[in-house]
Amino acid sequence: MLYFAEVQNYDVLAKGIMMGFGMFGPAIGIGLIGHAFMTAVGRNPEASKYLGQILVIIAIVELMALLVFASLFII
Amino acid sequence: MMSNLLTRFAAETGPVVHITPLEVFKISGYSVTNSMFYAWLSTLFILLLSVTVARMVRIKKPRRGIIQLFEAGTDFITNMISSAMGSREKGIKYAPYFVTMFFFIMLSNWLGLMPGVGEAITVNDTPLLRPFTADINGTLAVAVVSMFFVQLFSIRESGFLPHLRHYFNGSLKNPMTWFLGLFEILGEFTRIGSLALRLFLNVAIGEIIIAVFAYLGSNAAFLTSLPFVILEVLVGALQAYIFVMLSVMYLAVAVKHHEQHDAEDHAGPSAVTAGA
Repeated sequence: MLYFAEVQNYDVLAKGIMMGFGMFGPAIGIGLIGHAFMTAVGRNPEASKYLGQILVIIAIVELMALLVFASLFII
Repeated sequence: MMSNLLTRFAAETGPVVHITPLEVFKISGYSVTNSMFYAWLSTLFILLLSVTVARMVRIKKPRRGIIQLFEAGTDFITNMISSAMGSREKGIKYAPYFVTMFFFIMLSNWLGLMPGVGEAITVNDTPLLRPFTADINGTLAVAVVSMFFVQLFSIRESGFLPHLRHYFNGSLKNPMTWFLGLFEILGEFTRIGSLALRLFLNVAIGEIIIAVFAYLGSNAAFLTSLPFVILEVLVGALQAYIFVMLSVMYLAVAVKHHEQHDAEDHAGPSAVTAGA
């Protein structure tokens, strides 16, 4: 078996992979929410009063990212 | 040069991060954790503050200072409940519980940002004070109480059997109805979990981020952690609002379903088909 490199600290590797893949989804989700909100405001400026609802939905999506971040301190 | 700077400005040990509360002392065999201890202190403080503000309120204007903050928060939550439930009377009817919850969570979050809370004061290497909402047990308790009251309110609004019928929606001879109904009831428990986890993770991770940036700043910890403290003030208020808003939404959905079903029942037997 040919080894190119030897991993000294598996924890750091695992944390990096987990953060990378775990933040992937929530980042896309929050981006989509922001896109939808800005499109709606652009078409209909009256829709800007729904910012509170947008923040609630962002908080729901953000929970996934926070779970990933909290797992960082457990593994 | 670079290594000199690093040894000069970076701390020896990493940031001290606790994700669980730690035991401070025991009262007749029961261990009291630091978050419990601070929860008692902050509950006492919030109680005294609220009673003082309630005594200060007069009918005549102008009102100044902290009364305005409480008035604005109360009005905000009452308006939110009114628009979610559909009438001003229901908004005022359910305001006492939800407004209490809002101020309790918001002030708990903010009291967690006070100087001295966290690693500053330690007893036997255990931090003495920890914010109440940065403890999963605390937020789970808050979420259980909240969902209990939501169930109680919706049962009181529509009766016990119609409330159960709201889960088992459709013909009772159909096994699928029972299956889906059990899942709906399971969903109520996942709501408790998600409410608790959201509040806990936001506050606990805020604490961790402040600790990490204070560590990175070393001698200039004040400057590096200040933006995150300000962010946490915002997040604390926002999370309290979201917690209350989601509780109100669960209540509003449950109550509105009953009204809808009643209307359908009056319309005729064939109309009862729509689910969820």
